[in-house]
Amino acid sequence: MIELDRIEDTANLLEVRDLSRFYTMGEVTVSALKNISFDIKQSEQAEFVAVMGKSGSGKSTLLHLLGLLDSPTSGQINSKGVNLLDLSESQKARFRLERFGYVFQEYALLPELTALENVYLPAMALGKKKEEYIKAAKEVLEQVGLGKRLYHRPREMSGGEQQRVAIARALINKPNILFADEPTANLDSTSSKQILELFQRLNREIGLTILMVTHEPDDKKYVSRVIWLKDGELAEQGM
Amino acid sequence: MFNNLKLSLFLAYKSITKGNKGTLFLTIFILSLIFINLVFIGSIFLGLTETINNQVINTLYGNVVIEPKKDEKYISDVSSIKQKIRNIPGVTGISAQYIIGAAFSYKDKSGAWSVRSINPDDEITVTTTHNFMIEGEYLSNLDTDEIIIGKEIAGGYGGDMEHLSLGGLKTGETIDVLFNNGVKRSYRVKGIFDVKFIQSNLNAFISQQEMESVIGMENSASQILIKTEDRGNEEKYIKQFLDIGIKEKINPWPVYSGIVKNIISSFDMIAMLISGIGLFVASVTIFIVVYMNTISKRRQIGILRAVGIEESVIINSYILQALFIVICGTGIGLLILLTVIKPFFVANPIEFPVGFVSLMILPEKVSINIISLLAVALMAGFIPSWMAVRETIIEAIWGD
Ligand SMILES: Nc1ncnc2c1ncn2[C@@H]1O[C@H](COP(=O)(O)OP(=O)(O)OP(=O)(O)O)[C@@H](O)[C@H]1O
Ligand SMILES: [Mg+2]
Repeated sequence: MIELDRIEDTANLLEVRDLSRFYTMGEVTVSALKNISFDIKQSEQAEFVAVMGKSGSGKSTLLHLLGLLDSPTSGQINSKGVNLLDLSESQKARFRLERFGYVFQEYALLPELTALENVYLPAMALGKKKEEYIKAAKEVLEQVGLGKRLYHRPREMSGGEQQRVAIARALINKPNILFADEPTANLDSTSSKQILELFQRLNREIGLTILMVTHEPDDKKYVSRVIWLKDGELAEQGM
Repeated sequence: MFNNLKLSLFLAYKSITKGNKGTLFLTIFILSLIFINLVFIGSIFLGLTETINNQVINTLYGNVVIEPKKDEKYISDVSSIKQKIRNIPGVTGISAQYIIGAAFSYKDKSGAWSVRSINPDDEITVTTTHNFMIEGEYLSNLDTDEIIIGKEIAGGYGGDMEHLSLGGLKTGETIDVLFNNGVKRSYRVKGIFDVKFIQSNLNAFISQQEMESVIGMENSASQILIKTEDRGNEEKYIKQFLDIGIKEKINPWPVYSGIVKNIISSFDMIAMLISGIGLFVASVTIFIVVYMNTISKRRQIGILRAVGIEESVIINSYILQALFIVICGTGIGLLILLTVIKPFFVANPIEFPVGFVSLMILPEKVSINIISLLAVALMAGFIPSWMAVRETIIEAIWGD
């Protein structure tokens, strides 16, 4: 990854080329994504992109592929000049750990760990010192407004709180991109607003690039760009 | 590498301490029962074999037996042989016996048994029959017109060979004995013994003095029984006996176990078979329990992978958990076995037809069981978590 630093300035944060994902179920082939291409630029003003479209249009599929949680049937994903699909499984795991943050719709926390432990786990996995990762975890939890919930286990927290723990976990290793798949779908409007405002702040203040799937038309007001999907195809980009 | 192990330990530790306590305790409890069952069955069979061996030694032959030279009917110059052997360290008892066949008759019943003659003072240093008198008393040196008999000869005690017995002979009554050499004597029954071992209960004993008058010999014997302070070193003692110039035939006790030896080897085979099956069943059960436990964590494995935790870290954490569960299970099982079950059976041995049987827990057998179960734990932790990291992350998190 030495190469990566050298071309960092010129290459895009994400270059998606002809990305397709087919599911074969017996005789039938479902094409969840068809030839998707777009770029996420690395610039002064980090992008905050919404992925929108009807249910079944392939939004989650796209995010899974970009987050390296699933492999495409064909196509390419490059990040800063690195072909991500050429990486081995363990290199992909390392990439997810160091450079990507991922937030699922249904929180996906580990029930046996406290908020603090859930958050510092990725930092611990990076081999950071204990004082360091605890300090960092407390800071991000503070940032998402959970400074008072450090020692709560997931089941002792509300949905909105759990989702914010998941966001803090995605942020602890200072990722290049944060992926979020309908992060507010299970939340009431107040909690949703809190999270979207948090995303906007992170995007503006620390320059975090965010790719968020949403089906709320109102969410458009928070983002800088919208990628529309229709039946697995790129329908339109822009606002 | 070290950091990965630390991470695996962290995940395993949290999973164990913060996971479902009920499931954990139940799993450990089941494993301890499986382990107890496994050790118990093996140990009862070993105990049975041990009892039979002890019976052969303690009520029939001692540890080492000296027999007449080839082609001779009796050992001669018994007193000098006894003298020599007595000085060998480790020899704790010597008893010379004549053995002669005889026909017993009492009222309308009769039967043929062998009569052994003993010097009671010597005999009690070798056998334990004197501790098992169920009627009357043991012989003493001066008894010349008295006999003690096993319960299978006397009858009336529900022996296994009751139908061949004298049908209820009691202490104080008189029987006629016609020895094989033609001499006929009458004896008062001084006592009846039951050593809980059929072969021994078919014997009758008279005093040495009386026997020498019956057969008209002195300082001879049909066999000399020798008791040593330890078991298992018979060959070493035999070598020493040969070294001090004993020319007679010398054999260790197993040579005389005869039919008992067959029974024991059958027991050993059954024990091996049952232990093997037990170990297999235990392994399968442990595998299933740990497997189910790990499978139920599939989604969590998916989440860990999505975050970017390495597969080997995840697999190792499940192996550690499985090892923990099996170590606790066998540990608790062992504790219960050693502090509750074993003391109970030592205090209350089970009465088998061959005698009282207690558990014989051999460390080497237990270790084999523990090692096997740990190996199973390794597999049971490894296989399902390995399978869970083989499927895609999406399947692990959302699959069913
Ligand atoms: N594992 C799978 N096997 C077969 N088909 C699948 C699978 N996962 C998704 N699909 C199909 O791919 C298409 C896109 O699914 P996807 O989950 O990406 O939609 P989505 O845009 O996220 O929808 P929603 O808004 O409801 O979450 C759908 O038609 C779906 O049925
Ligand atoms: Mg979706």
